[in-house]
Amino acid sequence: MDTSMIIISIIAVIGTLIVAFAVSVWLPGIERKFVQARIQQRVGPPISSPGFMAPIKFFFKEAMTPNSPMPRLYNALPLISLIIVVFILLFIMPQMYFLGALASIIAIVGLLKVEEIMYMFMGSLSKSVLSVNMPFPDLVKGAKHVDATRSFIEELSTLRAFRLIAFGSFPLYIALFVPVVMAKSIYIGDIVAFQQLNGPVLFTVAGVIGAIVYFIGFMILLNEYPFAIMKTKADVIEGPLLEYMSKYRAYTYITRGFLIFVLASLFATMFLGTPPNIFSPGILITIAVAIIFPILMAVMSAFSPIFTFRQFYPVVAATSILGVLALVAAFITL
Amino acid sequence: MDNDNKVTTQVIETEVPMGTIHSAALEPYRLRLFVEDEIVRDAELTVGVNHRGIERIMEGLPVEKANSLTEKICGICSNSHIWNSCLVAEKGLEIDVPPRAEYIRIIMEELERLHSHLLYLAHGSEVLGHETFAMRLFYIRETVMELLRMIGGNRVQYGASIIGGVRPRCDLDEMRIQKIIEGMDYVEEKVLDFADRFIRDPMVMSRISGIAAITKEDARRLATTGPSLRATGIGEDLRLDMKQYEPFEFDVITQDTGDVKANLLMRVLEIPESIKIIRQAIKDLPDGKITNRSWEMQDTDIIRSYIEVPRGKLYHSYKIEDGRVRNSIVRTPSITNINTMEFACIGTHITDAQLAIVQCDPCFTCTDRAVQIVDQPFRKNRII
Repeated sequence: MDTSMIIISIIAVIGTLIVAFAVSVWLPGIERKFVQARIQQRVGPPISSPGFMAPIKFFFKEAMTPNSPMPRLYNALPLISLIIVVFILLFIMPQMYFLGALASIIAIVGLLKVEEIMYMFMGSLSKSVLSVNMPFPDLVKGAKHVDATRSFIEELSTLRAFRLIAFGSFPLYIALFVPVVMAKSIYIGDIVAFQQLNGPVLFTVAGVIGAIVYFIGFMILLNEYPFAIMKTKADVIEGPLLEYMSKYRAYTYITRGFLIFVLASLFATMFLGTPPNIFSPGILITIAVAIIFPILMAVMSAFSPIFTFRQFYPVVAATSILGVLALVAAFITL
Repeated sequence: MDNDNKVTTQVIETEVPMGTIHSAALEPYRLRLFVEDEIVRDAELTVGVNHRGIERIMEGLPVEKANSLTEKICGICSNSHIWNSCLVAEKGLEIDVPPRAEYIRIIMEELERLHSHLLYLAHGSEVLGHETFAMRLFYIRETVMELLRMIGGNRVQYGASIIGGVRPRCDLDEMRIQKIIEGMDYVEEKVLDFADRFIRDPMVMSRISGIAAITKEDARRLATTGPSLRATGIGEDLRLDMKQYEPFEFDVITQDTGDVKANLLMRVLEIPESIKIIRQAIKDLPDGKITNRSWEMQDTDIIRSYIEVPRGKLYHSYKIEDGRVRNSIVRTPSITNINTMEFACIGTHITDAQLAIVQCDPCFTCTDRAVQIVDQPFRKNRII
């Protein structure tokens, strides 16, 4: 590879990251202002507020020490999450396909799992004042069960994050393997090449079913209503993110916006054969998917209550079965 | 509060305390949930952090001033408090209230029931995680709030009732009557639309059906009151016994299951009944004066009055000495419903536990009535 190609590749990677960042900061605003607020017939926040202005605001807030046994590690976790999400985007860019195993579906699934695991760490390290630490005379004469182990509400989030890792993200991962089966390769480069030759996976029966399953998995991974049991306001409030403030909270906002874009890019790559590349017109498809997905997600969120595990388990089971059907359909069409 | 340990033979492994500041709670309260794998095995709910000592402040105040102060007990059922407080004085001083004033008081009370029930439904929807339903209910409620503002001058604490009738500013002229009629048509149409949409939503039904169910026997044992009692199938409504409600026809709504669904539907179905009462009151509104000023202050014994308010039975009592209030006691419905709230949490998922509390329509700030201070070395009690 000559020097000019290397420079162009570097520019493409950096440019794509910049575009991804520039789009991702508007996605939470589109989700909340243009869809949810309109459905709920209220004014809603300015479109720039949730994803763009709020992080800027938080960057200039005073950073206090969170209530955590390991505050530095706790504060570092959102940044680690952001880095992981950036790596996922890097590995699906065409310029990175030379990395071999890292640009494969196995690496992507692994990184997504690490991103999920971060919530477990966050939950177990957050000890907010809203439960055990509240200076309230609980253990007094006449109180019930004074010997029970006292648990922070964030620890509930940790348990829920663990359950989500165990079964919640099944649909997304099953859906990701539909293009793998059709392309007979785990490498992103091969899957993209297959679709450039045979047309997008989305335009097959297996692809359509897989896309539906992917979208449900996308919502679960983003902990969006109705799948937001890890951070439901009715009990755990913000859950693992409860103690984040100032720039660390800004990182959580940026990470969420970026994750929406990255998962949409992953869909565009796996189901439409258009990886994120600033020098390709396909980037417009990626951006379109990145806008359509939050809009659909906001519509679903606005019309559904939060699911407890009583609703969560059947939905995940049904979606996973649908995903398996998509895999079967993919095998049949081989 | 029920401090009996219901599960004495059960080993409770984990306690999850919540509050007194919590996003699902409109008011400050402490909730200790004793859980096994996120299923609540026992619960303890403690109030007391919002005590304002209103009864203590009322002590020695002139009756009229004390009555006005009762309105400050609650922002949602302020009219109920001032009405019942005036009823205490009217009962003790044997004051006849003009029929027109009685009708206006009924209209205010039923409007307050409408806004309380709509707030309940909206808050329940928020705790369910269904913000869209909550927003739409708040929009419907806005019509009722504006009607209350039109009559009383304020969106909360309207100060309608005074001893012997209602304030002159709360009299109803033709324009106001027309606006109330139009408002009731709008609210009825929108609430019925909402009810239709609500019960057809399978996701919402899945969240609320069979959750935090209370049987009739449990409701009786726990002294449940108000719509939460009627949701178990017991058709007990104090309005049936109140002479003020005698001219009006309405049905006492009951449900059978006593769960969150039954509680929510109770409020939805009570709304058309309140509208029915308001329409009758508007149609048959008597002419004449709205205040009886010909009464004399005198000393009385302790006088007690119970009325049915949106959350259940409300009790006020005091005696009058030299025109001043003595020994005032206020008991709100929520204090008798706290046992029910704790009981309803048992067996639910933690996320549903807040729903189990909300289903009883708590108003803890109103409930923080008295604090008992025990001076330990001398074992002397002081109530403030």
